[in-house]
Amino acid sequence: MREQLEQLRNGALQAIAAASSVEQLQEIRISVLGRKGELTALMKGLGSLSAAERPIVGQMVNSVRDEIESSLGAAIKSAQEEVIATRLQSERIDTSLPGRRPVKGSKHPVSLVIEEICSIFAGLGFAVAEGPEIEHDWYNFEALNFPPEHPARDMQDTFFVENNLLLRTHTSPVQIRTMLKQKPPVRIIAPGTVYRCDSDATHSPMFHQIEGLMVDSDVTFGDLKGILTVFTNQLFGQKTGVRLRPSYFPFTEPSAEVDIACVICGGKGCRVCKNSGWLEILGAGMVDPEVYRHVQYDAENISGFAFGMGIERIAMLKYGISDMRLLFENDVRFLRQF
Amino acid sequence: MNITYNWLKEFVDFQETPEELAALLTMLGLEVESMEKLGEGMDSIVVALVEEKRQHPNADKLSLCRVNNGTEILDIVCGAQNFKQGDTVALAQIGSVLPGDFKIKKSKIRGEESCGMLCSEKELGLAEESAGIIILPPQCAPLGTPVFTALGLKDTLFEIGLTPNRSDCLSAIGIARDIAAKLGLALKYPCSPVVEGTQKVESIIRVTVEDTDNCPRYAARYLSGCTIAPSPEWLVKRLNAIGIRSINNVVDITNLVMMELGQPLHAFDCDRLAGHRIVVRTAQEREPFTTLDNQLRILTSTDLVICDAERPVALAGIMGGLNSEIENTTTSILLESAFFKPATIRKTSKKVGLHTESSHRFERGIDIDNVVRALDRAAGLIVELAGGVLAQGVIDIYSDKKDRAAITFRPEKANKLIGIDLERDVIIDILTRLECRISPGADGSVLVVPPHYRIDIEREIDLIEEIARLNGYDKIPATMPHARVVSDRATRHQEIEKQIRDLLVNNGMTEIINFSFTAPDAACKLLLADNDPRHLAIKLVNPLVDEQSVMRTTLLPGLLETIARNINYRSLDLKLFEMRRVYLPGEAENMPQEPLCLVGAITGSRDGDGWSRPNELVDFYDAKGLIETILDALDIGGVSWKTEDPESYFHPGKSSRIYAGREYIGSVGEIHPSVQKNFQIEKPVYCFELNVEKIVKLSRTKKTIIAPSRFPDSSRDIAMLVPEELAAVKIVECIRAEKSKEIENVQIFDVYRGNGVPDGHKSIAVRIKYRSFERTLAEDEIAMLHNKIVENLINKLQVAVR
Repeated sequence: MREQLEQLRNGALQAIAAASSVEQLQEIRISVLGRKGELTALMKGLGSLSAAERPIVGQMVNSVRDEIESSLGAAIKSAQEEVIATRLQSERIDTSLPGRRPVKGSKHPVSLVIEEICSIFAGLGFAVAEGPEIEHDWYNFEALNFPPEHPARDMQDTFFVENNLLLRTHTSPVQIRTMLKQKPPVRIIAPGTVYRCDSDATHSPMFHQIEGLMVDSDVTFGDLKGILTVFTNQLFGQKTGVRLRPSYFPFTEPSAEVDIACVICGGKGCRVCKNSGWLEILGAGMVDPEVYRHVQYDAENISGFAFGMGIERIAMLKYGISDMRLLFENDVRFLRQF
Repeated sequence: MNITYNWLKEFVDFQETPEELAALLTMLGLEVESMEKLGEGMDSIVVALVEEKRQHPNADKLSLCRVNNGTEILDIVCGAQNFKQGDTVALAQIGSVLPGDFKIKKSKIRGEESCGMLCSEKELGLAEESAGIIILPPQCAPLGTPVFTALGLKDTLFEIGLTPNRSDCLSAIGIARDIAAKLGLALKYPCSPVVEGTQKVESIIRVTVEDTDNCPRYAARYLSGCTIAPSPEWLVKRLNAIGIRSINNVVDITNLVMMELGQPLHAFDCDRLAGHRIVVRTAQEREPFTTLDNQLRILTSTDLVICDAERPVALAGIMGGLNSEIENTTTSILLESAFFKPATIRKTSKKVGLHTESSHRFERGIDIDNVVRALDRAAGLIVELAGGVLAQGVIDIYSDKKDRAAITFRPEKANKLIGIDLERDVIIDILTRLECRISPGADGSVLVVPPHYRIDIEREIDLIEEIARLNGYDKIPATMPHARVVSDRATRHQEIEKQIRDLLVNNGMTEIINFSFTAPDAACKLLLADNDPRHLAIKLVNPLVDEQSVMRTTLLPGLLETIARNINYRSLDLKLFEMRRVYLPGEAENMPQEPLCLVGAITGSRDGDGWSRPNELVDFYDAKGLIETILDALDIGGVSWKTEDPESYFHPGKSSRIYAGREYIGSVGEIHPSVQKNFQIEKPVYCFELNVEKIVKLSRTKKTIIAPSRFPDSSRDIAMLVPEELAAVKIVECIRAEKSKEIENVQIFDVYRGNGVPDGHKSIAVRIKYRSFERTLAEDEIAMLHNKIVENLINKLQVAVR
């Protein structure tokens, strides 16, 4: 029996060494160690041995089984590794071919800039407000302190529509509508479409503005400067210089034009900033008492500021677009870049 | 408003360079929009002497000159005829660049060498036309001196963009006054001696103001024996520098004084005024009048006119008449200086379409107290330059003279609103520098009478602005406001709008923005029925062009035009959307409606070309899928798709209307071939539209989420032959009608026509996934349920199971 065992062991180990695939090794396992395998058959012969011999031969069988199993295990592992190695050797794709991309969509640059500005002001506690584009003269002009026949109306060439209405020339009427609806504190930002009868490379008859309004008990012109500095720094970068200079709007006083250091030349002077080093980006000021009178606010006990800016101008500066008409031609070769 | 550095310097003795002055003006609110260095880069054009002049051997009209530039003698070929040997001329030397980027090079003209060019005024940009080269006064400057220096033309021109409130700065003195106030310097007013004759003005001319409301002040002087002649050089140069053309001495003086003091003046030829009379009145209806520019104007009763005894002689404050203008033969002059009501001038100027330097000032408001000062300044200058005798006295009709009211001003209020902390003395000093009269008021306030020329200062807030302005906006510290916390969450409408935009962009769609106005026939191109409300567009009263003359009632035409334009640019695979307002007339007296709408269009390849793509074309179901995704994301319930009554612009067999319950919320389909043709598109386009306002109302805010089952699923397929007319959705509905909780999902996974399928039929394959929330379903349980479903399909829909 010992000889048989020795023979079986040698035969199995030889077969393992000669096997060339995982499948052959599995067959060896079954034929040697399986339920009907050679070793199992030998085990059945254990019963015929004497009680003294049985544990010794039993131990031998176990050790032969362990030896074959571990040799099989190692052989299978190495055969499997070889299979993977061969696969890795043979499988190759051209990774330089372009990837399969989902088709990319894009938002219009005007939408992008509106979203960005609204989100900056949302962080400062400003809610988004809206109003109609077809407006009454009263909201667009009179309540904003543009009396009829006032030369300031020349600053805004107006489209008129039937029934004594007009296309709003700015988003400022939203200020009036908001203040008529709610009492202070007011903190709104109002993006929207506006219209002026003017059309060339820098003027479009339709364009977009964002209006801001804050009214509370003790708001100062310095606060306006603070808010606009934070805003321009977030929109154009932390170190963008900001300059307020005196200007005029009928509905604010004191009024200011707000310039940022030219984003093209960094303030050194170039064609875009007409060599001034500054770019005008928005108009602002403290809300004029006359406006408060129209919305029945008590100008003695509250104060506030308003500001407004052209979205297209900011989009053009941000993305380096030189002709405003590109924004409304809707050429996908332009739009897909955003 | 154009003004030069040297001119300003005559009134204020500042030390600032032109650059510094420009910055100072801008920070005072008088924005310097551009700055032009007159005579800059022209230093190589020098004073030179013609030492010799002879005929060019090969050209009759050219001469050969030897010209001395102070250091050498140069050969110059010249074509002008108006000079002779010994004349002093302007020589552009080699390397000079004349206006218009004209470079002077060494050249050969008809075989003779020329080392420069003798210049005319036109070539130097000093005149619009000139007959020959400039002949300079002999020994005007050493030879070789730059011509612009010799002529005193080195200056800086500022173009100032004035805001409408600062009418006081529509003059040199006004700008100088602000500089003086800012720098704390003295201001020198221009003045010319007024020497009067003995004849009294009242004995020669008579003025009646019939309409004192529109003309609160009218002043006039009379001069006789004047000689109309070209203006002296200093006057021509001064006017030219700011872009005003010289006409003659008298007209130039009225222009000069207007630019200097801001008061428009008019000089009439008094001999042409019937009865030596002036009557200021409103025009008669349809009264004809020919202005100086030789245009016949038909006036109305709202226009103010200056008349003589018989007829209008000027359109008040806007333009004089051809019938009384100064001519070369004029000797007696009636000089007018008046104040007209701004709104009246503005109305007439707009109506007749005539905007002049004079009307610009009157409509913004001039200084009523400056009327006679300007009149005297001009009269004095006329005597000086045109000779003649000034009649004694001034006619000055100014019946309702009012003093300016004092404004109660609280210095602490100024500090509080601006956010600064100036001493009271500093604030009062600023007001004083602005020529305000100050007196103490009650409770620590100050009574301030603003100067008469600052018509924009009427209220305390106006004075507060002046404090901020003169002290400097740059000196205001930037602070953050102390504010009460308020809720600022976006509205549902804003959130849904953003959600839809994000969803579409993430699904490959590109956003477009078209103009809100469109052509009047835009809706017709969509083949809408005659009674379709989308024909009723709101019209613009003053459109720029016909194609932009009505407010759009639908976004589709703009979208289809965009598709056509892009296809023309060879962008063939398009996925576009626009989410904007449309404009519908309000009912009765109501305001128009401006609902937010969404349209999308897709055409061309589904996934774009590429080595790894099957390059399939988009179809109806791509458009429908986008809508389904949106409706799903916004949890719109009860959606149904109806083929009845298709929209006119869609292919009737390939479109459907979308309902949520009974509400019509949108539609989707292939664009009708005729509409496609109307927009010159040559390939199929699939569009969808949604009424976003309705979506916002229908969108459910609370989603119910179901925990997934832990038990295994089991799927069964059914393939069936059905008539072509049977809508696939009926099959799904029939299966769903079983209302079994164990039906997890029903999916149509194949639709097939062709081999083995009889004509007029289609084969539809459905996969039903069964799963229970409570247990693993047994085979026979599933079989029973499935068989029942199959039976239902056969009995209710007469399908043939394959």
